[in-house]
Amino acid sequence: MREIAARFEIGCGRCLDPDGKPVGPLPDFAADPATLIGLYRAMVRTRSFDAKAIALQRTGRLGTYASSLGQEAVSVGAASAMRADDVLLPSFREHGAQLLRGVAPLELFLYWGGDERGSAFAGPKGDFPASVPVGSHAPHAVGVALAFKLRREPRVAVCIFGDGATSKGDVAEALNIAGVWRVPALFVVSNNQWAISVPREAQSAAATLAQKAVAAGIPGEQVDGNDVIAVRAAAIAAIERARSGAGPSLIEAVTYRLGDHTTADDASRYRDDAMVTPHWRQEPVLRLRSYLNAAGLWTKDNEEQLLREVAAEIDGAADAYLRMPSQNPTTIFDYTYAELPAELLRQREAMIAGLTPTREAEGVA
Amino acid sequence: MIGFALPDLGEGLTEAELVAWHVAEGDHVVADQPLVSVETEKAVVEIPSPRSGRVARLLAKPGDRIKVGAPIAVFENGDHADAGTVVGTLEEGPRAVSSGAGVDRSPVSPEPVRAPAAPGIRTLARERGVDLARLRGSGPSGAITRDDVESAARSAGTAAAAEPLRGVRRAMARNMERAHASVTPATVWDDADVEGWWAHHADVGVRLIRAIAVACAAVPALNAWYDDKATAREIQQRVDLGIAVETADGLIVPVLRDVGNRSADRLRRELDALKAATRARRVAPDELRDPTITLSNFGVIAGRYAALVVLPPQVAIVGAGRVTLQAVRHGEGVAFRHMLPLSLTFDHRAATGGEAARFLQAMIDDLQRKA
Amino acid sequence: MTEINLVQAVNLALARAMAEDERVLILGEDVGADGGVFRATDGLLRRFGAERVFDTPLAEAAIAGVSIGLATQGFRPVAEIQFTGFIYPAIDQLANHASRLRTRTRGRLTCPLVLRSPGGGGIHAVEHHSESPEAMFAHIPGLRVIIPSSPRRAYGLLLGAIRDPDPVVFIEPTRLYRASREEVVDDAVAMPLDRCFVVREGSDVTLIAWGAMVVEALAAAAALAPQGISAEVVDVATLKPLDAATILASVAKTSRAVVAHEAPLTGGFGGEIAARIAEYALLSLLAPVERVAGYDTVIPLPRLEAHYFPGAARIAEAARRAMAYA
Repeated sequence: MREIAARFEIGCGRCLDPDGKPVGPLPDFAADPATLIGLYRAMVRTRSFDAKAIALQRTGRLGTYASSLGQEAVSVGAASAMRADDVLLPSFREHGAQLLRGVAPLELFLYWGGDERGSAFAGPKGDFPASVPVGSHAPHAVGVALAFKLRREPRVAVCIFGDGATSKGDVAEALNIAGVWRVPALFVVSNNQWAISVPREAQSAAATLAQKAVAAGIPGEQVDGNDVIAVRAAAIAAIERARSGAGPSLIEAVTYRLGDHTTADDASRYRDDAMVTPHWRQEPVLRLRSYLNAAGLWTKDNEEQLLREVAAEIDGAADAYLRMPSQNPTTIFDYTYAELPAELLRQREAMIAGLTPTREAEGVA
Repeated sequence: MIGFALPDLGEGLTEAELVAWHVAEGDHVVADQPLVSVETEKAVVEIPSPRSGRVARLLAKPGDRIKVGAPIAVFENGDHADAGTVVGTLEEGPRAVSSGAGVDRSPVSPEPVRAPAAPGIRTLARERGVDLARLRGSGPSGAITRDDVESAARSAGTAAAAEPLRGVRRAMARNMERAHASVTPATVWDDADVEGWWAHHADVGVRLIRAIAVACAAVPALNAWYDDKATAREIQQRVDLGIAVETADGLIVPVLRDVGNRSADRLRRELDALKAATRARRVAPDELRDPTITLSNFGVIAGRYAALVVLPPQVAIVGAGRVTLQAVRHGEGVAFRHMLPLSLTFDHRAATGGEAARFLQAMIDDLQRKA
Repeated sequence: MTEINLVQAVNLALARAMAEDERVLILGEDVGADGGVFRATDGLLRRFGAERVFDTPLAEAAIAGVSIGLATQGFRPVAEIQFTGFIYPAIDQLANHASRLRTRTRGRLTCPLVLRSPGGGGIHAVEHHSESPEAMFAHIPGLRVIIPSSPRRAYGLLLGAIRDPDPVVFIEPTRLYRASREEVVDDAVAMPLDRCFVVREGSDVTLIAWGAMVVEALAAAAALAPQGISAEVVDVATLKPLDAATILASVAKTSRAVVAHEAPLTGGFGGEIAARIAEYALLSLLAPVERVAGYDTVIPLPRLEAHYFPGAARIAEAARRAMAYA
């Protein structure tokens, strides 16, 4: 005789259709124009930063850069639901979340320009820097959330990673421990359908990535990742759940990577442009703008002014980045340990001795 | 290259202000992807790309007023270069550095190390003033050990320093080298029965000198000078006999002149005088020159037979060994008789074995006379 | 006088650290009710409660990753990896994150964690339970790698490791856990983490070792003494960052060095020490630096493992070889 031991269902939430029309009742915060406009501004600012970063890379003034084009709603929506003293653990494509939480565009330019000071955030001091080894930061989120729980602090760790990351053991381990320890964490899968050249259908046989939460015994929900209102709503619910002590959950935000994996990648090698084009009609910035326009909340002047403001801010940050001299080479050593051991001091001296006079003249030595 | 012009924005609008580009030069864009936002009187309009391709150049900047139909961007045709990576840049060099299979250094058998010594040993050797190259190591794999260095240092301290030769000894060294380099020596030995006069305390030296003179008269070939450059010999009329004298300074060979024409007494007087003078280093250079044949009476010290060194241009040297009592065939039986051993070394370039043998026999005949 | 063994000394140090600093946490597999499979955390759950001592699911990468997260929030996690044979999944977290966090955030986030794990062989265990991976960790910049060789040093060094603001890999020699006892005073005094320990003075040859090999080196020194060879024994203890000065001073005095480790020879940490000696003490050497190590093979299963492990006999033989170069 066979009984059903467990069932599951994965819901998928959406608030606005691709044309920006509500498909049902909107969440409460959508009644506040300032909130929605704030989300819109954040997404536009993210996209403007993104375009500038690409332009800098193309002109040899920034290193390899991972564009978040098309994924702004996931980053901005999730981050907008966080409090200042929550902790964000992003992947390497959550520029929108980092910018919204107070990482300066200058700091992001520094990071992608190859300067460690880009991760010494002046703003969100507790946030983690980008995690390049895919998914390896998921266990960190569990540790951070556990720390909040042990100290009885009403704080939440929000960890964002991509569809490829859900194949990693680290992610499975983290979800599992988070579930069994009931830590205050939110795991967001920013499913942009591509892990470099590997499409979603080759990444996992699971019908949804959200259902990996079921295996960990935690709630999992899908959401339209191009709909910032839906993303924010889902994130608010999950974060409040965590904050109240009810444990972690996972949100799979379904979106699309409209750009290349990185500036060194050429996606046309493995995906047809024709496949990409329809997704431009789904994209999040257009969608919210359509809603705002239709609701009379956003005018042409607003748009123009926003574009100019954002351009000025980002251009200014880029200029500051370009003018910034490199760190003193001795900083290669200075943060290796809290106190440099003898051998490193020796190596540091040896490096200084080998510095050319011109560098010393620059006052760098 | 394909140009992209500001499209008709509708509503009779003829121009617009460029507000913001959404793409950068070099970007790959797809159809419908927003390229640029422009502002008309009525709205800020996002203009999508009509095609997919690569943006080669942007022809206008934010703030520019652009007429409908004016080109604002240029698309590239065709594929662009494959970066061949997904992060960073892979530098391309002009040409490959030659690699190939490399040089085979696999050792067949390693060469033995000259003066193998650990660094600490080298330091020690330097301190002790020991030359490692002269030591044989007694350690593993022939390594020079500390003991090797220390004992080399000790023996160097007690041993006398090498003594450079001077004067008579130096001359002897040089003369012997010269002789060895040119002479082709051969030696014949025999004995003279001197029982007849030995008991009478006869003067061995004088009898030897007389015998040599007699033999030179009988076989002049051995009293000659040989010129190896001319391959010529010069038989001497006079017998100027060199007498080998051992002195405190070394071997000196003064010369008794014309021994064939001297009486026994005179020979004895001159011989004694010569020896005394030689030992006292009062012999004149003239008295050391040009012997025609030499006598070494080494038997007064020890020894019986010797292959001596012929000093060119002479062609012969006579050696007289110690007289000893021997049991020899005598008459019908055996008797003990005093025998004088004789050695004649000759330069075989200038004299034959036969000549040498006859010379020796002539000496023996004279020595075996009772007086 | 209470004499305790090495694993008890570990337990004592953990208890002391937990008592003096409420930020210290213990996590790992079976560390709670079971007190750790080797009893290293015995009694700590009862004494400090489930919010300070807790079991993890079976997930070594996550144990390291969770510890990193906790450490960034100001806790001092001391995580146990049950055997060094299972530490490899955690290397990613150590190499890519723990060791780098301070420098890549310019000091904004730091990682004061300790990953402790029993290592080395000689306990007749099944496969994979006899590993000596210390060289892999010593190669990672930003980590500390510490291996105690006695109960007293286990106590002092573990306290030092827990108090240290940087990530530490603390490998406890399994075969020494119960091997011998000595008096360990629970005085909360940490031993320095930048020091090698000269545990026996001598004048003819320096024997350099860590972990279980220190015991073997001391036995070798005892065997060499009646043969007229006076051996100095140095317990490296902290492999990274290495206190080369103590080692070099010893070799300058004796002019001969033997390095012994259980781990395989090629790529082993003995090579690093030998290179340093060659670099800085060459002119005083009277013999090549000898290395006594495990073979470049997988550790054999228990029936043959005695043939694999270097011991006092091979160390003494190496010392004699060095002496023969005189």
